[in-house]
Amino acid sequence: MTPHINSSSQGGRSLALACTSAIAFFFAARALAATPGAFPDIPTPYLPSTRVAVDEMLRLAGTGPDDLVADLGSGDGRVVIAAARDYGARGLGIELDPKLVAESEANARQAGVAERVEFRQGDVLVADYRAATIVTLYLLPNLVDRLKPRLLAELKPGTRIVAHDYGFSDWKPDRSVVISKTYHLYLVPAAVAGRWRLHAALPDGEREFDFELEQRYQEIRGGARVAGGYLPAFEARLAGDRIAFVLVEDGTSYRFEGRVQGTLSMEGTVRSGPGRNPAEGSWRATRVLRGGDEG
Amino acid sequence: MLSLGAIGAVAVQSGLAQEDRKSDVPYVATPQVTVDEMLRLAEVGPGDFVVDLGSGDGRIVITAAKKFGARGFGVDIDWRLILLGEENARQAGVADRVKFLEQDLFQADLGQATVITTYLRPFYMLKLRSKLLALKPGTRIVSHDFDFGDWPPDRKTSVRKNVFLWVVPARVAGRWQARLPLPPIERLLEIELTQRYQEVSAHARLNGVPTQVWETKLVGDRLSFVVVDTTDRDDEATLYFDGRVAGDVIEGELARGVGAGRSVARWRAVRAAK
Repeated sequence: MTPHINSSSQGGRSLALACTSAIAFFFAARALAATPGAFPDIPTPYLPSTRVAVDEMLRLAGTGPDDLVADLGSGDGRVVIAAARDYGARGLGIELDPKLVAESEANARQAGVAERVEFRQGDVLVADYRAATIVTLYLLPNLVDRLKPRLLAELKPGTRIVAHDYGFSDWKPDRSVVISKTYHLYLVPAAVAGRWRLHAALPDGEREFDFELEQRYQEIRGGARVAGGYLPAFEARLAGDRIAFVLVEDGTSYRFEGRVQGTLSMEGTVRSGPGRNPAEGSWRATRVLRGGDEG
Repeated sequence: MLSLGAIGAVAVQSGLAQEDRKSDVPYVATPQVTVDEMLRLAEVGPGDFVVDLGSGDGRIVITAAKKFGARGFGVDIDWRLILLGEENARQAGVADRVKFLEQDLFQADLGQATVITTYLRPFYMLKLRSKLLALKPGTRIVSHDFDFGDWPPDRKTSVRKNVFLWVVPARVAGRWQARLPLPPIERLLEIELTQRYQEVSAHARLNGVPTQVWETKLVGDRLSFVVVDTTDRDDEATLYFDGRVAGDVIEGELARGVGAGRSVARWRAVRAAK
């Protein structure tokens, strides 16, 4: 098994910039390890989370019975076992140390949750945890950042990532909580950057817009081109696969809310007019050009 | 009272105040999109009483009544705008639910208001601030473009213009004591709160042991905070407090732990000193 230290490949960096496949992200993660950072590239030591920390991570993630919680660097299994025991979730632990894996399995049996959890001996940089709906991390900053490209590329939009102490260096958390320690919640954002054809069945008639979005993680901005002008998208928000924005035209605001489906479409409802009973219509957008494709 | 110089300055600056108007404050109509956004941000509903300070043609109060089901009144110093507001309310069919008062907005009686809307230049916003802070905790105030200086808004949106929401915070500063019914042993929580608007910092002792207080939040009369209970070393747990402040009493729910291990009790704190 490859330990997640000192892996380096000078050629990997340009490769990472050119490709977008999952395999390229893997190489990108390896290449970034060679980039000098603020933190020394040392392996993450095993430091068990306190009971209070385990509670807070699972609470912040909004864990429930339908979730599959993957703990990357699962130690003695306490996060995964708590997810199964206290929330009825299923769990997956990835741990490099085989002794800790064996201990986790024994702990799971003792807690009576063995059939709902799985522990795999392996490197968090290569393990497969794509089925997870929640990913928990208690790792040193440099490993957290090396995991990021794969987390973004492989996890489904809306998957919740909770990082204990160390979050991603350039990705703003959707929420942070400080209770003795710091916990960051990130929602994996859908990829929405690019040009879209937006068709809206507004209460006052059908409309088509050329709609553009720029994206940096969950932060989005953009607007719609209309004959002779541009309508900026106000209050544009992306939370996982849920998107919302407001277009204002001729003194009327149109509030769009919807879901991103795959990479090529999104749809939802649009409301206009003030008050408690606004007029309601529907909208659908299909992607014309993906962000980055232009240049 | 303001000096004539100040009145002149505002009128000249804005270019909108008419010479013969008694008002210090120029009338600038709020765009309808912003009116909608203000009332939406304040979550105005049928139970609300909306007071618009500087009501102009009455559009905010009329929209609040017609589209959001609220009642309310507008205050304006210009009698011609009062007449216009009344006429507009009749045409909108809400004359029975709104009123317009010819009055200096700084003299208005705000006792009935659950929502206050206003659009004033920064100088007048600051002049109004202490009066608004003295209102019933939970009263919502919405404005646009201009804010209340160092009183940070509770929420903000930008749909064409910046719209701000403030919630009048309860006055919670002082020393509070609570007996917490947490079996097997009752615990004594002493908590000292200091306050700057809705921003609250707290120091606590749990059974006499200094304990840090986390995630302290005050929205109107609703106070929440978190304490880690280390009384039992083998059974550390997080205590989530949520309560409503009414005078010198805070009452609410206290949750210990999370998930399946979560237990909930009532808690009540009394202010021992201001």
